[in-house]
Amino acid sequence: METFMEQLPIVVDSLNVGFLQTLKLFFVTLIGALPLGLIISFGTRSKIAPIRIILKLFIWVIRGTPLMIQLLIIYYFPGLVWKNPIWGGGEIGRFTAASVAFIINYACYFSEIFRGGIISIPVGQDEAGLVLGMTGRQIFFKVKLLQMIKRILPPISNEILTLVKDTSLARIIALQEIIWAGQAFMKGSQGISGAIWPLFFTAVYYLVCNGLLTLLLGGIEKKLEYFR
Amino acid sequence: MFKKVLTTIMVTAMCISLAACGSGKKDDANSGSNDSAKTESSDTADKDNAADAKEKKEEASEDESGEEAKESGSTDGDIAAVKEKGKLVVGITDFEPMDYKDKDGNWIGFDADMAKDFAKSLGVEAEFTEIDWDNKAMELDSGNIDCVWNGMTLTDEVTSAMDCSNAYCNNAQIVVVPADKADDYQSLDSVKDLNFAVEAGSAGEMVATENGLTTTPVGNQANALMEVAGGTADAAIIDSLMAAAMVGEGTSYEDLTYTVKLNDERYGVGFRKGSDLKEELNKFFKASYEDGSMTKCAETYGVQAAIIEQ
Repeated sequence: METFMEQLPIVVDSLNVGFLQTLKLFFVTLIGALPLGLIISFGTRSKIAPIRIILKLFIWVIRGTPLMIQLLIIYYFPGLVWKNPIWGGGEIGRFTAASVAFIINYACYFSEIFRGGIISIPVGQDEAGLVLGMTGRQIFFKVKLLQMIKRILPPISNEILTLVKDTSLARIIALQEIIWAGQAFMKGSQGISGAIWPLFFTAVYYLVCNGLLTLLLGGIEKKLEYFR
Repeated sequence: MFKKVLTTIMVTAMCISLAACGSGKKDDANSGSNDSAKTESSDTADKDNAADAKEKKEEASEDESGEEAKESGSTDGDIAAVKEKGKLVVGITDFEPMDYKDKDGNWIGFDADMAKDFAKSLGVEAEFTEIDWDNKAMELDSGNIDCVWNGMTLTDEVTSAMDCSNAYCNNAQIVVVPADKADDYQSLDSVKDLNFAVEAGSAGEMVATENGLTTTPVGNQANALMEVAGGTADAAIIDSLMAAAMVGEGTSYEDLTYTVKLNDERYGVGFRKGSDLKEELNKFFKASYEDGSMTKCAETYGVQAAIIEQ
């Protein structure tokens, strides 16, 4: 049995590798879900009824079912139903499948936040823009977008912090993120077995990461305070 | 107008719940008695019972043809497919002394070393992939892995969901208790009233239920030991091979010990239904038992007493 001080570097190394995977999933999801969410939010306000209805149903299904089930479906269904395991068994395949599931799921939540932001801008601004001879596109990008960003920043921050912690759900398809790495030491890994503390120690990583994100998002909010 | 919209919504909702039931059932049928498929189908099952029953009938006929196609596809497929890929993907969990990582992060253990040798005999590399143990049958059926080789107890659940090799290793389910109370718990009768921590869906949980013991299911065997060490459970039921490596003096759980043996069981390797790799592995086991390489490998990990003559 090794002492705590001997275990620490091994555990921290392993948790770092796991946390890198967590961060990768976090950033990929954010980069994918923010623009996709904006596109979906436009779609739900589309003048064409079928697009609107299909997207509303899609959002209902995605928001109405557990992300864990969505991960299982996206990872296992291609192999089980179509007999074509498109993702493969390796780490890259699991990561890609997890990314797809997270991007779709978070895009739906983001889209509703964006929709709220868009409809919160008074209709008088649209009218003023039209009177000045601006096109719809100009009105959105030059007049409304920045005000919208300012208003939706607090709820988006909420989702971003939740996303950091939700990445741990990807362990259901055996993506080796930080919780998985922490749990490995309970059973025995790299000569350490029965160590319980690494699992609880993972909370520190989440806490520090979310602390930094809170500071960053708070800073952005402050920058946008120059107008009301 | 409002009525029209309402009808449209109702109709679409019904279509979607039907579709959801359909795919859930298909999944269930394909993976046999797999735990996770059960959870998934029960998630969808209560949506629409009548539709469910109807779907079931339809799926049954559909599945027969599907199953046939799959079987004819994979019987002449698995060895060829593995050779074509150039690797045998082995589904494992971190489980000392069968599959675990050494300090450099390489997979070692009795099962890992045997799997590497088997892959070599096929002329390919073994690739180890950690899986969630609850999803093992789903991993196999979906083709993400080629075999489950991880000290897997041959229970009815396992043998009905996979094609398994001949048993190669003996194991038992044993009771783990705090060392200072061990003297009181030397027989099955004396442990009847204890609260047992067991791995959910494990052979340990099954044997506890058979003996009418009170259990608390936890995530894995290590969690079960943690419950006993932390005092939240009176005792745990785990594999004897694992207990030998993790419980007692000189191990991680020095204050625990094992007492009552509840049953005997055997380990095997799981393949997809109809896979030709199964016979290939049985031949490999026989050859490596006869030339002594299996025993030699077992001695490296201290499990030589448990291996079974092939």
